[in-house]
Amino acid sequence: MSFARLREGGPLRKTVILAGLALFTFWSAAPILWLIISSLLEQKALIAQPPDLSPQNFTLENFSTVLAAAAALGRGIANSLIVSLFSTALALVLGAPAAYALARLPVPRANSIAFLILATQMLPGIAIAIPLFIVISKLGLIDNVLSLGIVYLSFNLPIVIWILRGFFLGIPSGIEKAAAVDGAGIFATFWYIVLPISLPPLSAAAVFAFVEAWNEFFFALILTRQQAQTVPLVIAQFAGQYQTVFGQMMAAAVISVAPVILLAVLFRNQIIRGFADGMMKG
Amino acid sequence: MISTFEQRRRRTGLFFVAPALIVLAAILFYPIVDSILLALQRVQLAGGAVTQQWTGFGNFERLFADAVFWKAARNTAYFSVMEVVLVTFLSLGVALLLNHSFGRSGFFRILLIVPWALAPVANAVLWKWILNANYGVLNGMLKSLGVIENNQVWLGTPFSALNFLLIVDVWKSVPFVALLMLAGLQRVPQSLYRAAYMDGAGPWRSFLHVTLPTMRGVIAIAIVLQTIWSLRVFDLVFVLTRGGPADATVLLNFLAYRVTFNFLDLGYGAAIANIIFALTFLLAAAYVWLLWPREPKGAR
Repeated sequence: MSFARLREGGPLRKTVILAGLALFTFWSAAPILWLIISSLLEQKALIAQPPDLSPQNFTLENFSTVLAAAAALGRGIANSLIVSLFSTALALVLGAPAAYALARLPVPRANSIAFLILATQMLPGIAIAIPLFIVISKLGLIDNVLSLGIVYLSFNLPIVIWILRGFFLGIPSGIEKAAAVDGAGIFATFWYIVLPISLPPLSAAAVFAFVEAWNEFFFALILTRQQAQTVPLVIAQFAGQYQTVFGQMMAAAVISVAPVILLAVLFRNQIIRGFADGMMKG
Repeated sequence: MISTFEQRRRRTGLFFVAPALIVLAAILFYPIVDSILLALQRVQLAGGAVTQQWTGFGNFERLFADAVFWKAARNTAYFSVMEVVLVTFLSLGVALLLNHSFGRSGFFRILLIVPWALAPVANAVLWKWILNANYGVLNGMLKSLGVIENNQVWLGTPFSALNFLLIVDVWKSVPFVALLMLAGLQRVPQSLYRAAYMDGAGPWRSFLHVTLPTMRGVIAIAIVLQTIWSLRVFDLVFVLTRGGPADATVLLNFLAYRVTFNFLDLGYGAAIANIIFALTFLLAAAYVWLLWPREPKGAR
């Protein structure tokens, strides 16, 4: 048996691997496909047994009905956009310099600080939710988009710091030394040299934070009422109210997840690398 | 000259780190401390006013005598253990499949990233539809395959509801952990496999003696992270079952939410939250221990 043959496997192993891949493809893709198909089918065809998938039953009506009937969905999308952009932008502005310093500058106890930041990410939401709810109620900031965005910083900032720190640890030190020899200060080095070569991990961190904020449900449930409701809340409410209009429910779900899924698919390679680097590098 | 340069770097470093730390502390420090203090009080919300009264460990005494708490604890233990075991094995399997030359196509990476990016709420709504007793596609498929004869109410009986919760959560969790493990597999140096081959190791032995030992750290990290994440599952319970039937799907996290925000018994809710917090804290300590750099890194 040659080495290549050993790594690839014989006919039996190849068959097992192909079967495994097929099974995995079905298991992952089938629910998503069903989500999309359900959102495009007329109610009658959808609840037929078995569902009638003939082409004339496909329609965009579910989408137009949901968008026209539910002002809440539009407002939810607007709120989610504000909350996600706000918390992502702040997390990047605060997190990038912090990650750089923790990875490259002689900060005392840099490792301990980095791990303390990581540890905050593991706090169960419920542990801080109750006091936060009391404080934010007393301040009269319940149902406010910005207070929700600030609470989201508590998990977005650690994510950004860890993804970027993982990348910054791997920059060859020659780059910074060359900049210092050329007379660049630390700020200039960070701004003109380090940040421009960090665009892939920066985009990974940004997409990651954006997705987390967009999908967050628990704090949104506790800290918003009506005006500041985000998309996941609207969808959960839909699922309660429109129990029986399955196609419209799925259309609403598709609308709510499409933006972040698109982002995630576009940036998948950066996200995967960024997360692996951040979570596995000490 | 060198020392002043070093001092400047140190000062700038602190200046870079400080804002992030201050913001995190401002958001988190008070709630963490207060959550511990709240657990020692009887806190009630009535007419928009909060009344607080110290009760020592009263909430915890109540907790240990509360049958619902123990039920939630048992549910959580079952759910988390099964979830972590299933996610770990399935993710490792998927990662091994995708590490084979047949699985290298970018298509599979898209298949993994989509369930990750899918909002947990949308995921729950989707599965509520798939599991629907009257028109759900699962009933339809199983009937046409002849596995079942009549439509099943999948979320209607305690045992079945908890296990479907588990399956849906595993479906959502595997892709991300598989991506982590795939990244780990790709870091196993090819030279090790070549050396094992030279020593006459077959595929199974080279998996056992090369792949598993080098992956040990990654697998350990995945297990700890997944355990922490499994303790946090909330959206799924909220949308799919609301804890029913007969509290069969009440996990600790959901119980803490229900007690606090539905029953408005804030101190008692905080006590339950503290139990979750303590569990998570131990796990987080394990994670840090696993990840902590063992030998000194090169000069910073």
